[in-house]
This record gives sequence, C-alpha cells and structure tokens, in this order.
Amino acid sequence: MNFYLKYFAIAIGLFAFSGLFTLFGVYAERKVSAFIQDRLGPTETGKYGTLQTIADVLKLITKELIIPAAADKLLFMLAPAIIFIAVFMGFAAIPWAPGIAPSNLNLGLYYIFAILSIETLGILMAGWGSNNKYSILGAMRSAAQIISYEIPAGFAIISVVMIAQTLNLQTISAQQGILSSENTKFLGIWDVTANGGILAWNIFRAPHLIIAFVIYFIASLAESNRAPFDIPEAESELVSGFHTEYTGMRFAFVFLAEYSMMFLVSTVGVILFLGAWNTPLPNIGPVHLADWTTGAAWGVLWTIIKVLLLVGVQMWIRWTLPRLRVDQLMNLCWKILTPLAFICMLISGIWRLWMM
Amino acid sequence: MTMVRLVFYLMGFIALASAVFVAATKNVVRSVFMFFVTLMALAGLYVLALADFIAITQIVIYVGGILVLILFAFMLSGKENLAVLEQQNSRFISISKLPALLLAVLFFVVILNILFKTDINNLLWIKKSITLKNAVTPGDEMTNNIGINLMSRYLLPFEAISILLMMALVGAAHLSRKEKSS
Repeated sequence: MNFYLKYFAIAIGLFAFSGLFTLFGVYAERKVSAFIQDRLGPTETGKYGTLQTIADVLKLITKELIIPAAADKLLFMLAPAIIFIAVFMGFAAIPWAPGIAPSNLNLGLYYIFAILSIETLGILMAGWGSNNKYSILGAMRSAAQIISYEIPAGFAIISVVMIAQTLNLQTISAQQGILSSENTKFLGIWDVTANGGILAWNIFRAPHLIIAFVIYFIASLAESNRAPFDIPEAESELVSGFHTEYTGMRFAFVFLAEYSMMFLVSTVGVILFLGAWNTPLPNIGPVHLADWTTGAAWGVLWTIIKVLLLVGVQMWIRWTLPRLRVDQLMNLCWKILTPLAFICMLISGIWRLWMM
Repeated sequence: MTMVRLVFYLMGFIALASAVFVAATKNVVRSVFMFFVTLMALAGLYVLALADFIAITQIVIYVGGILVLILFAFMLSGKENLAVLEQQNSRFISISKLPALLLAVLFFVVILNILFKTDINNLLWIKKSITLKNAVTPGDEMTNNIGINLMSRYLLPFEAISILLMMALVGAAHLSRKEKSS
C-alpha cells in the first residue's frame, strides 16, 4: 500500500511544483516584459509587486465560471483539464538529479514526446467546444502549428538519441558528465571522461548538436504557443484564440498548462543538450570542481538553474521579437528547420560510427 | 495477479464502451473525442501486455496525428456537411445495413468458433516459449529488439512501407500545388 501512497505523494508534489513555478513564472514574465519595454511592471501589491500573482490567483478562484449558451458544454468543461493533464503527465518522466526521477522509464523521452502531443487534442476540444469563430480559428492555427513543428523537434531529438543510443532520460543525463560509463570525447578528439563539466555536455560531445539544439528550441517555442509563434492567440486578430471564452479556474488551468509546458520543454532541452543535472564546472588538474559539485542536491540545483535560464530566454524572445505570419511560420518550419534537422540526423549517424 | 486481471477488465470495458459510443452517437465531433478514450484504453491494454513501445507509438500516431487530422477535416468542412451526417436513418435494423450486419454476425461466428475449438490454457507454442525462456519479462528493454528486427528480419516490409508513404507524400504535395496561372 505504501507503494501507492508514495506515487500519490510524488504526483501531488509535482502538481504543487508546477503551480509554484507558474506563480513565479507569471511574476517573472511581467517584470521581464516591464524591463524590456522600459516600464515598472507590478509595484503595488507587496514589496516590488511580489504578491501580484497571488492576488491574481485569488481573483481567478473567486470568478464566476461562465459557459456560453451555444457551447458544447461537456467538451467545453473537459478541455482545460485535458490540456493541463497532458502537460502534467510529462513531468512524470523528468529526471531531477542522479537517482532522483519520479519514474525511471526506459522509454522516457518517447513517452514525453507522445504525451505532449495530446495537448493539441485538448486545444482543438476547447476551440470546438466554445462554438465561437475566434476560438475555432485559434485552435486550428494552434493544431497546424504544433503538428508541423513536431517534425523538426522530433528529428532534433532523434539526432541526440542516435548519439546517446538510448531513450532513457536518466541514462542520457548520466552520459554527459563524470558519472558516464563510456568514454566521453570533447568535439570527438579530446577524452574528457575524467574532466566532465561543460566539456562533456552533448552539444560539445558532437558539435552539430548545437544546431540541433537551436532547432529544438525554436520548435519548442512553437509547441508551447509562445511568441513569436503565438498566432493561435494573437490578441490583435483573435481576441485571445482558443481560450477566449474561458473564465475563472478553467482559464487558470489553461494558463497553468502554458507555463508548465514552458518548463517541460526547457527541461527536455536541458536534458538532451545542456548536460541535464551535470555541473558545468570541469575537473582541472588537482581542483576537482566537478567531483565536488555532483550529487543529488547539486543535481536538482543545476537542473533548476539551467531550466530557469532557458525559460528566461523564452521570455526575452517573447518580448523582443514580433509575431510571425502564418505563411512565414510554415516556411520557416518546412523549408529551413526540417531540412536542417535532417542534415543533423545524418551527421549524427556518421559521428556515432566514426568519431565515437 | 488479480490486480492485473482487474486492470485488464477495466481497460477492456472502457475500450468497448467508448467504441460503442463512437459508433452509436449522432454527434460526430463528440464521437471523435470519444475515440480518443478508446485509443487511450487500448494503449493501456498494450502496456499491460508489456508492449510499452507499441503503446506509446499508438498514442503518437493515432492521438497526435490521425485524430487531430480527422478533427481538422471536420472543422474545415463546415456545419452543413456535419448536419447531413447527423440526419441518418436511426433504425437499428434496416435493409441498407444488411451487409454490415451480415459481416458482423459472420465475424462473430468465426471468433466463437476459434474460442471453442482451441484449448487456450494449454497452447503448445506458449508452453514451448515458457520452457525455452523465450518470453518477455517486465524488466526487459524491447526497443533495441524492435530496432534490430526492423533492420534485419523485416527489412523488406519496412522498406516497402516507407516507399508507400513516400508515394503518399509526393501525391499530397502534387495535389496541394498551385496551378500555374494561364
């Protein structure tokens, strides 16, 4: 019975984490956007506006749940739950530190890729259920965009898997540091198995993975519907896209899903390309920096630092770049990212055979 | 053991009940969303049969791909087409449904026939693979096995399928190409 209790505790813990991250993320987003646009952002509630998101949550909880008269009630009510659960289930396979992962699946990467694709279904459900032209246009744009960008993202992921030879996220993480069981070579020349640190990260083990990382990062922006790929909720055209009709807690779930998705795609990027829970500090001669900064607690710390940095870049991009048009979006995906991702996959195969 | 059996019956019930709903309901879009439940229950059954790779592939291809495309087709086709689908003859048994009914009954007879003729608890090939230890255990990693088999034993079918998909892709690209303005 303890077995099941443990699982429930982990699930509730992850839920609490995604809630806390959203609280923090919304506040950070407002402050970052304010800084970029030379404003102040929230200042009134609490010191530096730190209580602003808590006030927002209180507002969302107390708001009335409105169902439009023409909506398909069942689909309308279920959609936010499906959108959030799809993202939340992805958290189950994320490794946090050596030996710390909610579920150490040997198909972890593939599982996350599959579970995230369910989100599209939830978005279509929300768009159709609202019975509103803006919602349905937003939902269709979103689905088209997510399906298209899954292809370059998938090939970027495959080029890592070809180097790592496994789908187990914990094994992929372990390969990129001093805990690796096989020889790690920096750029395919210099053996850095004992040094570890930043030199052993996947993007330096095989330099073409830097391109794969950029492709993955762009595609992940599109998959989480973030600017410059936010045409599904383009405020100036579609009010706010597929979640136009949502209020109160249902809207909160859509929001929670968006921020959890940002965290999740960044975590996958960090695990695949940026060394997962491994320290960036290498062992240099007698100074064993990597040995000193590897461990369970350090692992969690490094993961969170790296992921928050990537999330920060996502926010930076959102408030810097203008929105892409639909045809530009598809051109970028099919004519630039997909061929590049194919080339990366090809190089990965050659690299694995001859350089490793 | 009972736990596994319980989960099996639960998943089986969900799959069957949702499939019946998919076939019976008048609301076409709801039936597509219900199909999602069927697919998830099937994925659960695959996991229960230790075929985790197939379960995840099922979700990627059917839920992430085909189901979304079906929904897309609905949303692009407008309400008039959907209304035609929803105004079908509601009688369960009618002359126009005779072929389908016949097919279903015959298939059911075939299944019953197999069920009565075979001794499911003492199948020879299952016993043989148990004695040879040629069976999957929960800890096994099957992905490597699938990859090796695809690239060696099933290479020809694999290549044939990829050529088929290539043809479909070329065809789709050709259909969606803009005509040169005359």
